[in-house]
Amino acid sequence: MTKKINIKINILTSKLVLCLLMLFMLSGCSGGREINDLEIVIGMGVDKDEDTGNILLTAQVVKEGEMEKSSGSGGGGGDGKAFWNVTGTGESVFESVRQITHKTGNRLFVSHNHVIIFGKDLASEGLQKYIDFFLRAHEMRPTAIILIAEGRALDVMNAKPETEKLPAMNIAKLVKTYGFTSHFYKVNMKDFASCLMCDSRSPIAPLVGVSKDGDNKDIYMSGMAVFKNDKMVGRLNEDETRGLLWVLGKVKSGVLLISFPNKQGKAAFEILEAKSKVIPEIKDGKIVMHVKIKAESSLSEQTTAEDLATIEAFEKMQKAQAEVIRQEIMAAFDKSRELNADVFGFGEMIRKKHSNKWKSLKDKWDEIYQTIELNTDIEVKIQKTDLLKKPASPKKEEK
Amino acid sequence: MILLILIYIAILLLSVPGLIKRKEWRELTFFSVLYIIAFVLGLLYVLDIPVPSPMKALQYIIADVLGIKYPQQ
Amino acid sequence: MRIEKGNICNMQLLFLITGFVQSSISLIDFTVVITEHQTWMVILAGLVIATPFILSYVALAKRFPGMNLIQINDAVYGRFLGKVISVYYIFFLMMTLSFNILDVGELYATFLMPDTPFIYLLIFFTATCAYAVTKGLEVLARVSHLFVVVGIIVPVSTFLLLIDQMDFSNFLPFFELPLIRVFHGIHIMLSIPFGETIVFLMIMGSVNKTEGMVKNTLTGLLIGTSSLLIAAVRNTAVLGNTEAIWTSPSFQSTRLIDIGTVLTRMDFLIGIAQTVLIFFKCSLFFYALAVAVSQLFGLKSYLPLVLPLAGIEVIIAATVFQSPVDHAAITQDAGIIYSVPLMFVIPPLSLLIAKICGLPKPERGKGV
Repeated sequence: MTKKINIKINILTSKLVLCLLMLFMLSGCSGGREINDLEIVIGMGVDKDEDTGNILLTAQVVKEGEMEKSSGSGGGGGDGKAFWNVTGTGESVFESVRQITHKTGNRLFVSHNHVIIFGKDLASEGLQKYIDFFLRAHEMRPTAIILIAEGRALDVMNAKPETEKLPAMNIAKLVKTYGFTSHFYKVNMKDFASCLMCDSRSPIAPLVGVSKDGDNKDIYMSGMAVFKNDKMVGRLNEDETRGLLWVLGKVKSGVLLISFPNKQGKAAFEILEAKSKVIPEIKDGKIVMHVKIKAESSLSEQTTAEDLATIEAFEKMQKAQAEVIRQEIMAAFDKSRELNADVFGFGEMIRKKHSNKWKSLKDKWDEIYQTIELNTDIEVKIQKTDLLKKPASPKKEEK
Repeated sequence: MILLILIYIAILLLSVPGLIKRKEWRELTFFSVLYIIAFVLGLLYVLDIPVPSPMKALQYIIADVLGIKYPQQ
Repeated sequence: MRIEKGNICNMQLLFLITGFVQSSISLIDFTVVITEHQTWMVILAGLVIATPFILSYVALAKRFPGMNLIQINDAVYGRFLGKVISVYYIFFLMMTLSFNILDVGELYATFLMPDTPFIYLLIFFTATCAYAVTKGLEVLARVSHLFVVVGIIVPVSTFLLLIDQMDFSNFLPFFELPLIRVFHGIHIMLSIPFGETIVFLMIMGSVNKTEGMVKNTLTGLLIGTSSLLIAAVRNTAVLGNTEAIWTSPSFQSTRLIDIGTVLTRMDFLIGIAQTVLIFFKCSLFFYALAVAVSQLFGLKSYLPLVLPLAGIEVIIAATVFQSPVDHAAITQDAGIIYSVPLMFVIPPLSLLIAKICGLPKPERGKGV
C-alpha cells in the first residue's frame, strides 16, 4: 500500500517539477530582445539624397546614458546630446532602415516612433511610394504624426530644442498642442492614409521649419501643406489653416483679433469653444455647402480705453468676430479653389449624404469643386471678460 | 527532425501502455492507424516533401470544374 | 452507446455557444475586405438567416436525445449512407480545425511573435488543445464561463476607450456596395460563425435536460453576436475607409488608443482575446472530431485517438495553405461552398426524414 502511495507522490512531484521547468524555459519567445540591444527610435525623417537620387533616411535614436543628465547641466559638461541622428540610404525605405544597421549594430526599434518627417522635395514629388513602409511595418504605430519639413527633414531633426532633450519629442509636443492657436493641425499616419485612399479628399500635413537665431536653431510650425493625391501642391498659411479648422469643427482655442473703426484700437478674444455643422445641398445641379459655426469667446485684451462691457459694444464685437471668422474661412476656401484641392472633405460629405448623385459627380469633381458655393452662418457669443470689468484708464471728462 | 521523433515516441509512451493494460485491442488498432498516418505526414513535412493539400483540390473542383465562384473584387 | 460519459447542464450550453460565436472575432477582420463599412449589417443578416437552421439542429438534438451527430446520421440514413455522410462531416471538422489552428499561427506570426518558427507555434497551440480535450467536455464547459467573460470585456472596453476617435459618419452611405458583395459577406457569416455551430450536434447529446435548450441556444447566439457587432462597429467607426487595407483592423484600431500617454499599446488585449477565444473554439472542434472519429470506428472512448489526431492536424495546418493570402482567397471561395450542404441542407433534411419516418424508433438493443 505504502509503495503505491509513494509512487503516486513521486509522480506528483515530477509533474510539479516539470511545470516549474516549463515556466522558466518556455516563457518568452525566440524573438525577444533585451533593452540594451535596442536602438529606440523616436523620430524618422525621409529626404532625397542629392548625389544618388536615393532615399536618405534619418532615424533619431535615444542615447540611454545621456538622458540621465539633468537639463540644467546640459549646456555645461560637453555637448550632452541625448539623441543621435543616424542616417542610411537606399532605394526604398525598408532598405534604408536596414542600411542603418551598418552604423548601429542593432536593429532599430520603431515602436516608440512619434514623428515621421518628409522633406519638401519628396513631398512635391509624391509621397505614395514612401508611405507604405510606415503603414505596413509590424512595429510602427498608426498614431505617429506626419510632418513636412520646409527644407530637409535632416535639418529639422538636428535642431536641438531648449527645454526638451529630444527634438522628435519636442516636435510631437508642438504638434499635439495645436489647440493653443489652432494655426495648424495634428495629422497622424492613419488620417493621412485615409485621405490618400479617398478619391476626392486632399490630404494635409503640418509644415515645420527651422529658423536660425544666432547660433541657435529653433523649429517652428509654419502652416499646413496641401496635397493633391500624394503630391504637395501648395500650402495654407496660419489664417487659412484656421479657416479650414473652423469648417471641420476642430478649432480648440486661439486668438481672434478685431480692430475698431476710426483707428480706436483693437480687442483680442480667446476662443473658448467652436462647433461647426456642414450641410451639403444640391440645388438645380449646383452644389451649395451650408456651413454653420457657433463659437464662444472671452474678451482677453483690449487696447482702447473705451468701456466695452456694454450690450451694444458686445453686439458689435460679436459681429466683428463673426466677420473675422468668415474671412478666414473664405481665405481657406479660395486657397483650396486656387490649388483645386478639396481639403474640407466636401466630396466625402456629398458621397455620404447624397450617394446616388455622387456617382455622377465624382469623375468631374475637380471641375465641380470650382463651382461650389459656400454659404456661411456664423454666430459668436462672448461669454466673459476675464478679470476686468472696465479697462484701467483715466476717467474722461463728461462733456 | 529529432524533435519529431521525440514527440512521437512521447505520444507512443503516453497512450500505448494504458491501452494494452486495459486490453482495448480495437482502440489500439485504430490508434496505430492514425499514429502511422500522423507520423508519415510529420516525416514528409520535416523532409520538405510537399504534402498534397486537400483544399487546393477542392478549390480546383469547385471553382474550375463546377464553376461556382464569387466574382473577384 | 454513449462515448462521452459526462453531463453538461443547460446553462453551460449557453456559455459554450456564446464563446463559440465570439471566437469568430478574428473573422470580422477577414470579412472587412469584402464588406467594408457594411460589415455590421452583414453580421445581423447572418444571425437572422442562420437562426432557423440552428433551431433545426436543436430540434434534431431534442428528437434524438443523448445521441451525437454520427449516431443520428446512422439512424436517419441507414448504415451505409449514414456513414458516408459522417465521413463528409469528419472531413469538414478536420479541415476547419486546421484552419483555426492556422489562424492562431498567423495571428502570432504577424503581430505578436514574428520571429518564432511557425511550426512551433502550431505545435504548442495544438498540444494545449489536445490536453484540454483529454480532460473531457465537462471541464471545457466549466471553463467556458471565463472565456465568455474575456470575449465580452475586451470588445466593450476597447470600444469605450475609442469613443472619442470614432466618426459615425463612416457608416454612411448605407447601401453603397454592390449586392453581390453583401451576399458574399452574408454567406461567409453564415458559414463560419453560425454554420459551424453544427459541431454542437456532437455536444448537445450530452446535455442532461433538453427542455431549456432552445432558449439557451438563442440567448447564447444573441450575446455572441453582440460581441461581434461591437467589434465590427468599433473598427468601422474608428478606421473609416482605411479599414479594408490593414491585415487586422481590430489590432490597428486598438493601437490608436492613446489616453493620457498611459493607456497606449493596448493591442495586447486583442491578442489575448483572440488567442483565448480561438483556443476555445479549437478545443470544441477537436473534441467533436475525436468523438466523431471514435464513434465512427465504434470505439469505447475517444481518448487514445486525441494525440494522433493532433499530430495530423498540425501537419495539415502547416501545409494546407502556402500563405495568409492563399488562406483568405480559398476560404472566400471554395471554403464556404463545400460546407453549405453540411450546414444548411443535411440537418433540415434529417429532421424532415425523422419526422416523416417517425424516428427515432424505440430502442432495439442498439446501444450498450
